[in-house]
Amino acid sequence: MKVTRRDWIIAAGAISGSALTYRLRQRQYLRDLRPKRSRVAVLHAEQYSDKLDELIYAGLRLFNLNIRGKSVLLKPNLVEQIPAKPVNTDRRLIGAAAEAFLRLDAASVTVAEGPGHHRDTELILFETGLRAQLAQRKIQFVDLNRDDLVKTKLQANYSGLGHLWLPRTVLASDFVVSMPKVKTHHWTGVTLSMKNMFGIVPGCRYGWPKNVLHWAGIQQSILDICATIRPHFVIADGIVAMQGDGPLNGTDLRLNTVVLSDDPVAADATCARALGVSPEHVAHIREASFFLGSMNSHEIL
Amino acid sequence: MDLLMRVQNPDGSWPAFEGDDPEGCWVTALVLIALRFVGAPPEPIEKTLRWLLHSRGREGHWLWKWKFRTIDRRVQFDPDKYGWPWFPRTVSWVIPTALSLIALKQSLQCCPSEQAAARVHVGTEMLYDRACPEGGWNAGNGVVLGTALRPHIDTTAVSLLALSDDKQSPTSQAIKWLREASAECRSAYSLAWSAISLSAHQDDAAGNRVQRLIDLLSESHSLDIETLSLSAIAIVANEHDANPFEVRM
Repeated sequence: MKVTRRDWIIAAGAISGSALTYRLRQRQYLRDLRPKRSRVAVLHAEQYSDKLDELIYAGLRLFNLNIRGKSVLLKPNLVEQIPAKPVNTDRRLIGAAAEAFLRLDAASVTVAEGPGHHRDTELILFETGLRAQLAQRKIQFVDLNRDDLVKTKLQANYSGLGHLWLPRTVLASDFVVSMPKVKTHHWTGVTLSMKNMFGIVPGCRYGWPKNVLHWAGIQQSILDICATIRPHFVIADGIVAMQGDGPLNGTDLRLNTVVLSDDPVAADATCARALGVSPEHVAHIREASFFLGSMNSHEIL
Repeated sequence: MDLLMRVQNPDGSWPAFEGDDPEGCWVTALVLIALRFVGAPPEPIEKTLRWLLHSRGREGHWLWKWKFRTIDRRVQFDPDKYGWPWFPRTVSWVIPTALSLIALKQSLQCCPSEQAAARVHVGTEMLYDRACPEGGWNAGNGVVLGTALRPHIDTTAVSLLALSDDKQSPTSQAIKWLREASAECRSAYSLAWSAISLSAHQDDAAGNRVQRLIDLLSESHSLDIETLSLSAIAIVANEHDANPFEVRM
């Protein structure tokens, strides 16, 4: 019998899921943050273009968000530029999201990221074209790997870390938007809005990569970080997603979709299904459904 | 210097910033290089050196060596060849290993020690073990799950500084890669590391990289402190042959 890479990914997910389940005999979270109502919008987009500006604005209006006067932080997924690989959240989607929040009367919009294993954030911004995109729209970028830090008690204890030093820019924001690239991941099954929050952990303190989180358990660390900084909103880039050996070496998967949600668990469950992965088999999504959001019962707008 | 002296941890390591938890981390090697360069008093230097000699990647422990050889073989590397981690209780990575090698090799110049020489040997082996197939270095392993990773400019430049006294063929291949990769680089940070490294290897391209760096700096409106510091070092290293990262064995 031929064992494919997909089999390995599913097996790895199942093993880490079992290990996590074993550790979950007792409740590990401090607060139940599940909203009364979770909403998801699945927008159709054939390509990255200027039309995204209007599409994202219209999509956000479906949610009747109260953004007026708020500081909005957009957290995309930037890893490194690899030719012909859909690794990063597309610059045009990030630009469109920034513009849409400004149109909704946000006091400020900041794009912020702390790439995981590449120390040269400026090089990534240049190579992905994001630096030019943000300059054109006059949007500020903050390198979370080198921001001022605040010692922060984690609001769940799956990892056993207790606390993390987290960037002041994230903690001071009124409205955090996770903007993942929709991808499979060889360790966690998928990398979506919750895994994307790894990027707020600062490299200047924890290194490139943030290996402390790997040793504390990737799925466990995702839960602890998201329990502490739960994204208020998700805009997931699934126009061109990645399948196979993600997050770096997979292949294109055209989903022609942008997923918007006010619930990161609902967003990730929806994106996982679009990738052909059952969210019940992704340990951090399943566990997050007990205290962060809804995996099954959400309203599709 | 006053700030540095004030924030050293009791165990000899250094925090990432003033007010940090006293666990020590990768900046310890960087501080040791700085202390030697400015001629700091011997006591903090010796304490730092002791901590650095005891710090090692988690794969350097027999239990984890066994795990990586038997159970966890998804990422292939030789756990006998270990270096230094970014943060205690994690595995070795390229940049903290390279910075630690520079600090230890500089220490060996004045104070030879068998323990330090042994760590330098194993750390050097680790760097060669993790090199990318096309030359140069990524953050850690050169191959993950059967896929060759692309080198990074800064990681390659720092590794080459640590190996500037070593003329093995992987080093020559990495210099060639760095020379090509930095030729069109538009990041001041990576360009500064390239210039510092190529200067240490007395490579003809160093002068051009410094000039491009100066041009880039004059066009940039905002630069972080790390990039500015590295740029200053790159310019001085090229003009006055005073390179704090240089290793002469």
